[in-house]
Amino acid sequence: MSDSTEKREGEGLLGKQTSRRDFLKYAGGGLAGALAMITLGCATTVRTREGRELRVWATPAGALVHDPNRCVGCKRCEVACTVRNDGKASAHISRVKVSRNLNFGVKGVSSAYAKADGQLGNFRIVAETCRQCEKPACGNACPTGAIHADRKTGARVVDARKCVGCGACQTACPWHIATLDRETMISTKCTTCDGDPVCAKACPTGALKLYPIAEAEKLLWGADVVSGATA
Amino acid sequence: MAQIFGYSGKILRVDLTTGKISTDETLKYKDFIGGEGMSMKIMWDEVDPGTKAYDAENKIIFGTGPLCGTGVPCSGRTNITSLLPTSPFNGVSSSHMGGYFATELKYAGWDMIVVEGKAANPVWLRIEDEKVTIEDARWMWGKGIFDTQAMVASFMGKEAQAAAIGQAGENMVNLSVIRTGASHSAGGHGGVMGSKKLKAIGVRGTGSVKIAGDRKDWMELDKFMMSIIGANNQMVVPTTPQPWAEFSDKSSRWTARKGLFWGAANPPVETGECNPKDMQSVGLRTQKAIFDLGPGAEKYTVRMGGCSHCPIRCHSQLKVPQLEKYGMDPYVANTCVGWSGPRGVMFNGIKDFDGHGEDSNIVGNAIGTTLADDYGVWCNYAQIGRDLKYCWDKGVFKRVLPADEYASIPWEKLVKGDATFLIDFYDRVAFKKGEFSHIGDGSAAIALRWGLGDDYWNDKNGKLWTRGGYPVHHSNEAGAQVGALISCFSNRDAQNHSHMNFIGSKLPIKIQKEIAGEIFGSPDALDPPNDYKPMNTFKARFAAWALKRSILHNSLTVCNWMWPMSVSHDKERGYRGDTGLEAKFFSLATGIKMTEKELDEAAARCFTLFRAITVRQMGDADLRAGHDHMNKWITKADKDKEGKEIPQFTPGTIQMTEEDMALAQTMLYREFGWDEKTGAPTRASLEMYGLAGVAEDLARRKLLPS
Ligand code: SF4
Ligand code: SF4
Ligand code: SF4
Repeated sequence: MSDSTEKREGEGLLGKQTSRRDFLKYAGGGLAGALAMITLGCATTVRTREGRELRVWATPAGALVHDPNRCVGCKRCEVACTVRNDGKASAHISRVKVSRNLNFGVKGVSSAYAKADGQLGNFRIVAETCRQCEKPACGNACPTGAIHADRKTGARVVDARKCVGCGACQTACPWHIATLDRETMISTKCTTCDGDPVCAKACPTGALKLYPIAEAEKLLWGADVVSGATA
Repeated sequence: MAQIFGYSGKILRVDLTTGKISTDETLKYKDFIGGEGMSMKIMWDEVDPGTKAYDAENKIIFGTGPLCGTGVPCSGRTNITSLLPTSPFNGVSSSHMGGYFATELKYAGWDMIVVEGKAANPVWLRIEDEKVTIEDARWMWGKGIFDTQAMVASFMGKEAQAAAIGQAGENMVNLSVIRTGASHSAGGHGGVMGSKKLKAIGVRGTGSVKIAGDRKDWMELDKFMMSIIGANNQMVVPTTPQPWAEFSDKSSRWTARKGLFWGAANPPVETGECNPKDMQSVGLRTQKAIFDLGPGAEKYTVRMGGCSHCPIRCHSQLKVPQLEKYGMDPYVANTCVGWSGPRGVMFNGIKDFDGHGEDSNIVGNAIGTTLADDYGVWCNYAQIGRDLKYCWDKGVFKRVLPADEYASIPWEKLVKGDATFLIDFYDRVAFKKGEFSHIGDGSAAIALRWGLGDDYWNDKNGKLWTRGGYPVHHSNEAGAQVGALISCFSNRDAQNHSHMNFIGSKLPIKIQKEIAGEIFGSPDALDPPNDYKPMNTFKARFAAWALKRSILHNSLTVCNWMWPMSVSHDKERGYRGDTGLEAKFFSLATGIKMTEKELDEAAARCFTLFRAITVRQMGDADLRAGHDHMNKWITKADKDKEGKEIPQFTPGTIQMTEEDMALAQTMLYREFGWDEKTGAPTRASLEMYGLAGVAEDLARRKLLPS
């Protein structure tokens, strides 16, 4: 109930960020350095035995999941996200994406719109959230290394000082979650709000929740995954 | 340009005659707040008296305000102001729609759109941030509103929001709407868009609204608001007893309880206890489908919908598979009169038809709403059904319709409650087929055309408030003289809920009277239901406040179906709300410090300007006689079973008296500083509101009261 539950959930997640998963399997050099970086919660580039360059990412604590069955399309989450993180109200740069699927669903307008997802169809509202991917396409595409794993939460976050506004992350993310703010020319993407997501707190139906990453992955990587970018 | 907060700072101007698109500055109108207030200023400055609703010289203004887009709870509404075709003198009037159009417009960088002129061929307006174009609408023309929105999005992308007219608007049916999204209509101005050959406006905004205040303060204020907000219409008492609640009231819209579901969700979603401390259940409080359509609607409810940034969700979104039998899609949504207006056409009620059994009423409602929403026919706040009934009962159709047309109408379906009558009805109205279709001209027009006289206007069941041709809307039944006064000023149904969101809260009358005392100076501002007392100055203060808050909300733009927050559900606060919240949000959003009193004064300025426009349009300063005069059924005493008159101001009757209402109007005029005899703004009052130029203009036309 209320804000406090969300907070407890968020805080509880913070302990789970240290798993290194596949890291040792791939890492062929710079091991000590890479390990040091990951312990600090950043990302680093290592070279595989085959000579491939690979960025290694700390595991995020959690990711946000949206429930299309409960969502009422109020967009309070979007505006809470941008007020907290940008000091202004917007839909486009919100890191949780409701508006773009609101009327016609993820797939967009079709001649069968009246029966497809969306407010002009079957009313179903499918918001897209950042999956905090294990191997984030956004971060791997960033030419300046501006996207890194947050030290505290492991969330893939943008360092505004390093971001050059090229939009590579936006293009690379299979769901186009990372979004360039045209007013600042800096990329925005979900930070999980330090593990205490304001979008979930603003949601009047409990349709948004931050789940521990293992659970979130199970919920987010369903049968309809559109890309193998992180596989 | 200096950074602007709250406002986007720009007004889009489109001349459809010349194709010229230009930009104006919002803040030059800032004394008029936004939305409706600013629109009144533009209508005063730019539309000459004598202009008719369908003339190219008429303007139609889509307005948002400084709180729209900021995320303030319930701030997604669009105000539309223009001359109103149903008004006998085409008076200026506002219609409003919810949905997601207004916030998208703000994010595209525009506070308002002012459309003037008339296109030679059908067009639609395409707004993608600062890029604005007038597009060919020949393939959209003739389509319903659902398909039109899909076509707009197919050009602009799925993110676009659209406001559009249907066939009714195209055909300049007076009773037509402008609609957006699944179910959000602005009634009355569809024909104005049609007259300009403007089929739709599509908008896509990738920008933002800047907030002047500290983001933490903003989030705190939002949290506070969320802690006092109630259910739909700010009803703060649950329908059934709940562990957290001291009171319950069967007629409340806070319907949530354990065991009540959105039954057609997959899996069904339980509304549950909805303890107000649980912020993640605010959107579940109002299961509106069962309130609007009865308990049988629970199983058809997919979810609740509503507007941008509103946690309350008053629109029921249903899946009614039976609609497919009539070639309609099974998904249908609406709220309140969006259901009951079309249903009201079936004046004998909807009986068992086509084997729908006990769900016939729901299926019938769904058919009516689907038709009205796609063709874009307006019900004139359910008046179209009452007009139909009057004309049927009095044999008007037999008298005025050609015999073959009369014979072609499936009256038997109407009489026996078969809702498929609606299919025939809306087809005639939307496409202006035959004499019968003039029922869509509106009440004032049919009174003239079909020779309906005093008996029509004064019919108690007809509920027509003035000869302006509009009906009651929370009038004398809502707060006695307060509601009655509120209904006298617009050129359409009052659409004012400032008073309802207080007196309809379902709190015990004792608590309501205490709160009324705190806001208006005496508990006597509010009478108990069905136990009315004669007029007093506190009621006048209440009515004036309600009128000011309504135009304030339509200017900010926040929803006057939830705001103001006069009460709350919170026992620890003594069920008090906070009537200063608008000013707090306004100041934080815009960085322009305004107190509650200052904002109310700005609203009074806007309302007085609206009044001045009415004087100028009518060409007569005596608004008391020519405009505000109520139909006689309101002031006629009820009779008891024995035929004896029940005197007014005795328990059990809600009838008013002429003398008392005359006094009420005098007191109300006084609240605004207008002339007490005629109800017209005086030079002194106009100057007090900073409207000296308006006073000059009216003086030149000899329209200032002596
Ligand atoms: S690739 Fe997309 S979903 Fe994955 S972490 Fe980056 S922004 Fe989030
Ligand atoms: S968790 Fe925070 S950053 Fe992520 S979408 Fe929600 S509000 Fe935005
Ligand atoms: S706040 Fe919740 S209900 Fe509203 S749009 Fe976001 S996820 Fe949906």
